[in-house]
Amino acid sequence: MVDEKDYLVANNLNEAKVLMHEHCGNIHVLAGGTDLMVALREGKRSGRDTTYLLDISNIQELKAIERKKVTISDEDCNTNEDYIRIGAMVTFDEAAHSGLLLKTAGALCEAAKSVGAQQIRNVATIGGNVCNAAVAADSLSALTILDAKVVLEDLRGERVLSIGEFITGPGKTAINEDELLTEIRFKPLEDYYSAFVKLGRRKALAISRMNVAAALAFEDEKITEARISPGCVFATPRRVQSAEKILIGESPSEELFMEAGEEVSKEMVRITGRRWSTDYKYPALSAVTFKALAIAYNQAKSDT
Amino acid sequence: MQKLKFVLNGKCVEVEVEGCARLIDVIRENLGLTGTKEGCGIGECGACTVIIDGDAVDSCLYPALRAQGKNVTTIEGLAKDGRLSALQQAVLDHHALQCGFCTPGFIMSATALLNKNPKPSREEIKNAIAGNLCRCTGYEQMIEAVLDASGQTEIDNDSA
Repeated sequence: MVDEKDYLVANNLNEAKVLMHEHCGNIHVLAGGTDLMVALREGKRSGRDTTYLLDISNIQELKAIERKKVTISDEDCNTNEDYIRIGAMVTFDEAAHSGLLLKTAGALCEAAKSVGAQQIRNVATIGGNVCNAAVAADSLSALTILDAKVVLEDLRGERVLSIGEFITGPGKTAINEDELLTEIRFKPLEDYYSAFVKLGRRKALAISRMNVAAALAFEDEKITEARISPGCVFATPRRVQSAEKILIGESPSEELFMEAGEEVSKEMVRITGRRWSTDYKYPALSAVTFKALAIAYNQAKSDT
Repeated sequence: MQKLKFVLNGKCVEVEVEGCARLIDVIRENLGLTGTKEGCGIGECGACTVIIDGDAVDSCLYPALRAQGKNVTTIEGLAKDGRLSALQQAVLDHHALQCGFCTPGFIMSATALLNKNPKPSREEIKNAIAGNLCRCTGYEQMIEAVLDASGQTEIDNDSA
């Protein structure tokens, strides 16, 4: 059962920060609500103990997907970096169909398309997915190959963390009680070809059993850059650099992609140890990685 | 209790609801429209699908107070002057239901699709109703009904 809640609505970002500050520790942010509404009814998780729910779905500042110059102050010099910024309240449906994301983060669009069903994608948000930090969150492996950063804001200011720094364990993040995750930003992967492959128990509405996001860049028939991040495999999202190294500088081939896939499985065993499920997961992860790399390469081939 | 005002099937309604009330409970319990069904209550089955400002959503996952000022359509809002919508009629014509429990949700998902995309492909239809579980029909008649309602025959469309 749900205890009585006070439902607050913030109409702009500043209002939200003030409310978070005022009710610090006694307020829970309601993003899309597709996870929280179930958790509240089941009496699970943090939302249970707070008096206030804060609906942030009316905040326009959190709904844009845009290209933006961000000034990075580094000792004496200020450099302008080109970033793609995704507002925390962008829904999976909006992300899946964004022209800008299709051009700069194809794997993220594929991941967004694979979330739940249309009814879920219409309300569930990227910011909510990242903050819930589920091991099986579909957006996390795609954001990891983008080396994405999250922006956290409170009344005092903002801080920027990488996905790896933000997610500290299954379901755990580094967010403070009065902070809001306002945006996710990354440098556009314009010269890369990227793919996201998900293994679920069925096609629609499946929670990932395993997924892999991969991105490749080429020059003169050689792989110049490679990024691979498996989802549901590690406690926190990460890239598998040992597998990426196998690819860089080589000519793409089925054998090479198989070798990289095998290395991802080896890394899984190194990090998480052997479990009862390893016999199943080991070949599956190699195959899903192979598939993601092959899809990325096929995009490159059909593009030239 | 907090005040909630929204447009339900074209009429302005006002109710008092609890802070964490779900839209489905407000529609069924407070407003007495029981066409919207609750199946799983966790967003898996789609029986509770309604249309909010043009988008199909699961009303079991939707906070009632988020509907403030919005336009909500349920299965009861589709027939006009006693005439069924084209899709409702096509569902009958194609025997696209048996027990009928999933039917309102399925019709709302497909209606949202047809409003945005009047001539959907078979793939697009399957994608739009993938969040609606049906244990009776095997989906084939449901897809045919949507094709029919959009004025397309099997031959017009890409084959299975």
